[in-house]
Amino acid sequence: MIYNYLKIAIRNLLKYKFISFINLFGLTAGIACCLLILTYIINELSYDKYHPDADRTYRVTRSFRNAQTGIVSLNLGTVAPPFAPLLVNDFKEIEKITQLLPNGRTPVRYGEKMFNEENVYWGDEHFFDFFKVKVVKGNPAKALNDPYGIMLTEETAKKYFGNEEPLDKMIRLDNQLNFKVTGVYKAFPANSHVHPNILISFNTLKDTAVYGEENLRTNFGNNSFLTYIKLPKDYDIGKMEKQFPAFLNRHMPQGGKFKPSEGTALALQKLTDIHLHSQLDYEAEENGDIKRVYIFSAIALFILLIAGINYMNLSTARSALRAREIGVRKVVGAQRKEIIAQFLSESVLVSWLAMILALLLTWLTLPWLNKLSGQQLSIHILLRWDVIVPMALVPFVVGILSGIYPALFMSSFRPVQVLKGLFKVGGSTISFRRILVTTQFAISIVLIISTITVFRQMHYMQQKELGFDKTHIVTLPYSAGLNDGFDAFRTELLSNTYIKNAGRSSRIPTGRLLDAMGARIKRSDTLEPANADIKFVSADQDFISTYGIKVVSGRGFSKDFSTDTGAFVINEAAVQALGLNSGEDAIGKDFGYGNRTGKLIGVFNDFHFESMHQKIVPLVLLIPTSANAYGNISIKIAGTNIPAALSHIEKTWRKYLPETPYQYNFLDENFERLYQSEERQKSIFTVFAFIAIFIACLGLFGLSAFAISQRIKEIGIRKVLGASVNTIVALLSKDFLKLILIAAVIAFPIAWFAMDTWLQDFAYRINIPWWIFVVAGVIAGIIAFVTISFQAIRAAIANPVKSLRSE
Amino acid sequence: MIKIAELEKIYRTEEVETVALNKLSFEVKEGEFVAVMGPSGCGKSTLLNIVGLLDDPDKGSFLFNGIEVADFNERKRADLRKRNIGFVFQSFNLIDELTVFENVELPLIYLGVKAPERKKRVEAVLDKMQIMHRRNHYPQQLSGGQQQRVAVARAVVNKPKLILADEPTGNLDSSNGNEVMQLLTDLNEQGTTIIMVTHSEHDARYSHRIIRMLDGQTVTENILV
Repeated sequence: MIYNYLKIAIRNLLKYKFISFINLFGLTAGIACCLLILTYIINELSYDKYHPDADRTYRVTRSFRNAQTGIVSLNLGTVAPPFAPLLVNDFKEIEKITQLLPNGRTPVRYGEKMFNEENVYWGDEHFFDFFKVKVVKGNPAKALNDPYGIMLTEETAKKYFGNEEPLDKMIRLDNQLNFKVTGVYKAFPANSHVHPNILISFNTLKDTAVYGEENLRTNFGNNSFLTYIKLPKDYDIGKMEKQFPAFLNRHMPQGGKFKPSEGTALALQKLTDIHLHSQLDYEAEENGDIKRVYIFSAIALFILLIAGINYMNLSTARSALRAREIGVRKVVGAQRKEIIAQFLSESVLVSWLAMILALLLTWLTLPWLNKLSGQQLSIHILLRWDVIVPMALVPFVVGILSGIYPALFMSSFRPVQVLKGLFKVGGSTISFRRILVTTQFAISIVLIISTITVFRQMHYMQQKELGFDKTHIVTLPYSAGLNDGFDAFRTELLSNTYIKNAGRSSRIPTGRLLDAMGARIKRSDTLEPANADIKFVSADQDFISTYGIKVVSGRGFSKDFSTDTGAFVINEAAVQALGLNSGEDAIGKDFGYGNRTGKLIGVFNDFHFESMHQKIVPLVLLIPTSANAYGNISIKIAGTNIPAALSHIEKTWRKYLPETPYQYNFLDENFERLYQSEERQKSIFTVFAFIAIFIACLGLFGLSAFAISQRIKEIGIRKVLGASVNTIVALLSKDFLKLILIAAVIAFPIAWFAMDTWLQDFAYRINIPWWIFVVAGVIAGIIAFVTISFQAIRAAIANPVKSLRSE
Repeated sequence: MIKIAELEKIYRTEEVETVALNKLSFEVKEGEFVAVMGPSGCGKSTLLNIVGLLDDPDKGSFLFNGIEVADFNERKRADLRKRNIGFVFQSFNLIDELTVFENVELPLIYLGVKAPERKKRVEAVLDKMQIMHRRNHYPQQLSGGQQQRVAVARAVVNKPKLILADEPTGNLDSSNGNEVMQLLTDLNEQGTTIIMVTHSEHDARYSHRIIRMLDGQTVTENILV
């Protein structure tokens, strides 16, 4: 029986090639999109899951809040070094703990080879109990134990040592410390939230020359240590978190009238949740986002839905052509359930074919998606039993869902009528098909509106006035080697006409503003704590002028005033946060920040230091007491001869810092990188939206072809009676365009809600203008009209005599 | 074999009510060959559909082999139909996507006959209808007469007790038409009961008895044999 069904199914596929193509192509594209997105989702969900005991490993995080207002000002994925030993001591349930300290960009040198390394971490002897990577050389239990030991990934080792044996080789870090290679390990897989390429023995930090045991034990202010703990299975972390406030009060020194727990808190975060659920102010690397997973899942389902609707629509529309077959089958003894089974097996067959083609298509297009998304996805992600088995069921589900309506509908045909040729597709099915088409177009319109909104927001972020000039600024990592000779270095830089200015700062725009101390402002006679969260950046006298930041009141730091080393410059947001009336009001006020006091000498405009995701925060600039606080040099160059400027910078760098790798960035490129993940999201979103709309159009194309073919006689009569081609095209298109209108009305509020939610992630965002809706509606209308009129015009210009005679 | 009493069938659309059968009564005995005649719209086809268990009457009684089937549901009717009744239509109603062999095989598939047995029976009947050489062709590749022979083959392949023919020669020229009529006559002589709706006096003369209908009722009966 099944054989008979499949036989006729295949012959039908071949007979109605056009409709079969739309169905098969639509379903294939739909399933392929789903598979591509599924690969992405599985990969996103797989982060850090492969580590031993990943489900009971937690990261300790720390937040800071204003003790008075309770407003959280900072959330870090890292904590201070004393916490690890104290946690182990106080909480017996902690089975294991490990600390990992990022070292930032680090110059590494072996012989003549010298590179800046980004993923350098200090790791302790428990590291490999937490993170499952294969140690290929050295003893994992010991390699990170002894001070001045260092481990490298295979790639890193190869970079420095080539084919030489890396073990026991000495390499130099930061131009000051020498380390012995004690081990080599395989690189972390892509689906990890950290990717240490170099691991330095944590015990080295105990050396006072490096950091010091005292600091490790008591410095609660250096919150840069990633700290992971392992807890017993099914342990309720709420129990431990409840004890954290008391723990903090027990161990941290009390400053002022507030208890430590009122100003800071610790929390636990599941290791496997970090990648998708953690968006803290400091993360080891940029994480993914569960929202993105949701968005793309929704798109995948949308596309599949549109393709499924095509199948339903076209099959039902075509049913008139198969009515006779159904009638005959019933006459010779088929029962209704057998007819239903036949049509379901047909749609399952089509889905199966689509599945096979889709797998092929996925395999072919995955590299392209990787390029677009910056991911490293592979088809192997899908080749797992727990994916393959449900995937094998997909054609059944899709086939049955999209086939059930046509099957039920067609099996209800009464053989008497269909065999007598009295059969006409009834009104109820036409209206059901209308609902389906409306749904498709509603989805399409939502996608069009979303795409336009995403484009506009991205454009807005990149074009918004930053408050300073980001062009032609070259940034270099600051090196302690310049501490003494910076003025000479700067003078030599500026001796070239293509170099306009150069300044130093702890952070540069595009970075985050995370450093903060307590601020005090003079009220009546004394300095009183200002109830304000103000971040700071250490900057020299040339920072403001290099960036072209506008000083609105007072002045910036100047070498002409020796007292400026104790003075402060703040932004307008800080003026407001301090409760001052105006910039002028601030000038000359006594101000305290951390343990420094001095005068406020200038106010600069609110410029965008961070990305558009962040609100402009109150900011104070200060000249640091030690040049070690600087992290970057920013050099403003003339736009007329960039290569000359760069070569002069390099020459000067090599002269002053022969031991330090030379590496520069353009600030505007940093800005682009800031929105890279959104840019990628935008391109992927656009591609999938386009595919969805295209599949919807295919369906409409097929459906209108069919609808028109059923009205051929009517068109013939109208033409004989004198109707023009235009009126006929209008007549045929009107029905569908009405549906688009309804679809638009349904789509608007949905799109508005979805996009409004999406925009909430940006501190600086566009308003969704009304015309986006109009444009989306019109685009959908035009697409639909073009699709339909192609058929309508053909029908309208056909010779009516032909169609009437053939009746 | 068939006993119909006071049968009524009314078709309703939103505005019009058409009485197709109006208290119709008649009887057909096993082995009979009955022709039903009458002008268009007199209810002949409705009658054939009800007798063929494709449609149900609104009122009245219909005994098929002594069993009351007027109130059978679709599943029961389908079951009874596929075991007992074969159909031949004016427009042949072969499935275009199936070959001659597959078309004839179809009733046996729905009866659940096993494949080797099906092959044997289909080949036997194709042989008898002299279209064995066309077994792998599709309906469009055959002449009208050949198509109708295939349709007759399909109607008789499961050895039904009753064959219902709805203007079986309507789409055929006279020589092909005569051939089909001869086939039906042969089947009747081998014991199959036949009820045939026709407009053609010529065809009707092949039957034993002519029932003439008008406005949903029988008006006369001519016994020819």
